[in-house]
Amino acid sequence: MNLTLLFQLAISGFLLGGVYSLIALGLSLIFGVMRVINFAHGEMMVWGMYVAYTILVWTGVDPFFSFLVSAIILFILGYLLQRTVVNRILDFPEAMQVLPLVGMAMVFENSARLIWGPDYISPQSRFALHSLSLGNIMIDTPRFMAFSLAIIITIIVLLFLKKTDMGKSIRAAADNRTGALLVGTDVNKVYAVCFGVGTACVGAAGGLLVPLMPLSPHIGAPFTLISFIIVILGGMGSLTGAMVGGLIIGVAESIGPELITNIFHGVGLDFDFPHTMKQVVSFFILIVIMILRPQGLFGGKKG
Amino acid sequence: MKKRMNRRTFLKYSAAVGATTAISGFPAILKAQAPEIKIASIQPVTGVISDIGISMRRANQMAVDDINAKGGIKSKGGAKLKLLLADTEAKEEVARTEAERVIKEGAVCLVGPFLSGNAMTIATLCEQRGVPFVMDVAAADDITRKGFKFSFRVFPTTTKFADSMLFYMTRIMKDKNISKIKGVLTNTGDLFGRVQGATFKKTVTDKKFPIELLAHIEYPLGIQDLSAEVSKIKALKPDVLFPVARPGDAKLMMRELYKQRVELRAIISPGSPGWYEPEFIRDMKAISDYVMDNVPWYNPVGKMYKEVNAAFAKKFPGKYIDTNSGYAYLGVLVIADALERAKSTKAEDIVEALKKTYLKQDLMVGLAVNFDERGDNVNADTAMIQIIGQTLKVVLPDKAAEAQYIYPMPKQLWERGM
Repeated sequence: MNLTLLFQLAISGFLLGGVYSLIALGLSLIFGVMRVINFAHGEMMVWGMYVAYTILVWTGVDPFFSFLVSAIILFILGYLLQRTVVNRILDFPEAMQVLPLVGMAMVFENSARLIWGPDYISPQSRFALHSLSLGNIMIDTPRFMAFSLAIIITIIVLLFLKKTDMGKSIRAAADNRTGALLVGTDVNKVYAVCFGVGTACVGAAGGLLVPLMPLSPHIGAPFTLISFIIVILGGMGSLTGAMVGGLIIGVAESIGPELITNIFHGVGLDFDFPHTMKQVVSFFILIVIMILRPQGLFGGKKG
Repeated sequence: MKKRMNRRTFLKYSAAVGATTAISGFPAILKAQAPEIKIASIQPVTGVISDIGISMRRANQMAVDDINAKGGIKSKGGAKLKLLLADTEAKEEVARTEAERVIKEGAVCLVGPFLSGNAMTIATLCEQRGVPFVMDVAAADDITRKGFKFSFRVFPTTTKFADSMLFYMTRIMKDKNISKIKGVLTNTGDLFGRVQGATFKKTVTDKKFPIELLAHIEYPLGIQDLSAEVSKIKALKPDVLFPVARPGDAKLMMRELYKQRVELRAIISPGSPGWYEPEFIRDMKAISDYVMDNVPWYNPVGKMYKEVNAAFAKKFPGKYIDTNSGYAYLGVLVIADALERAKSTKAEDIVEALKKTYLKQDLMVGLAVNFDERGDNVNADTAMIQIIGQTLKVVLPDKAAEAQYIYPMPKQLWERGM
């Protein structure tokens, strides 16, 4: 067993997991408050990526700064989306809530294709090719920076929810909508802000990912799926759950195939676990957690 | 307020209707006399591979426009071709319904698509419906091994790719006095990637070729993180990397190889996109240098190539004719040639004409388009291309070579001052 390789894989996965956490945080926040699953989440992340990319091309400002603009623009988009689409479907049966948001996902993907074109783009940014070496281990600089900023943003969002008036209103509306209405909270506004904060998280994550992966309009859908897995794993609506879940999935997908191959070889099986089946690892973990703790790792009440 | 129809308004309306018919209706009848032949372009224009799909649809369309500009199908009284557009979204099930739609809309022949998996479903459907189908790009061997009567392929098969690859590798190893190469093979997990990877591996093993494949790594199409795969390559310490990729993961892989400081003597693709599109060189700059790819390529000295490429580059700034757009153009020419000789739009006549195709061309490397009994183009060939000084050059075979190939890479990726 090549321990250096496994350690390297664990580090890469852990760092990327931080960004996954931020993406999932947005989804979890929206679900926790409105009980709506934002199926356009990944596509909105792609919009965040394109905003940061456009700023990079026009002004030369690095995505590690311009992710803030991505977050602001995605906040506005999210706010408007909540007011125009999501607010109308809050009381619909769950199956019917899915359709408008899947539709929005298509609108986001294809409008990105119209605006920015279909090609894969890997823009040259300042840190895109940096890496640090610690002995045999390589630490990818943009990945490390994305991880650190993602964790900082996550902490800021948690503080916003705990300490500010708006944050308290959001939590109140999540806890008991009627109660919040009775004490005079403008629930519609609170919901829209909350949706905006959720999409701002994913927009910021998109900006942070620009130096790491090529952009193309269609890359959003797998991120919706992965954040969905993370949210269920961590517990629907639990923000700590989203953070921890993101790190677990990041590490599992990175290290899983190699570790399983090593186990196979250890027991005398000449079979390599294919990397095409990476997601099997995350789904396997998901199923195990669902069996042992149906409410998710950090989920509150059962069921 | 409700308006009632009275004698006056009735007269007014009938006069208007009469006038409209006189102005527009009459020429419409004239138009119907000059027949129009519908063919369909079916490409993955949206979805995971839309960049290539769009480029191919554009080339299909440009070929149709060029044929019409030159007087259409002369044996049918100068009938113009009309291109129906279909989008597979890179999904098999959509490919089938879209093909069904264009057939219902009257397409007499289909051309497309980029993806082998999609091509397989369309070929099956065309066989059921009895509609001729010309594949411009789709390499997986299996598609033409089902005994289909209506399917023809202009592009080389994966077996052809593997044979040419070993032919060029033999040459490189002989020139440089190399007795053995240790390599790692990677491929995407779609039908083409898997078949291309597996055929290369099988051909190397069957022929006992002196390439030792230390590992065969497969990853999903549309992957966004290759760090784990590249870490594994690094741990295996190969001389040469043999990647079968797509545009997105090709870029991702180069950046990971750079960041993880993977030492390689060369990167030689057994034949795949990703390495020759304009965006690869635009984004990767100096890192793209010395990558080699064994691909069906345009013929740099061909007259037809020069004309088509000039028109394409003018119409779509920043783009050029490459493997896919070149074959997409050629595919339409093959259909037009068959229609010309068939003098008919009946499926059986077109198929008979396609079987007898001998279309001389100097657009792509390889000789005249000529189909064998399976429907494969026997003269489709590949060239070894290499990026040198951030431009693409044909390096092998010698007769088409624009430059001498460079092996091994004189500088590792991270030594190139990015």
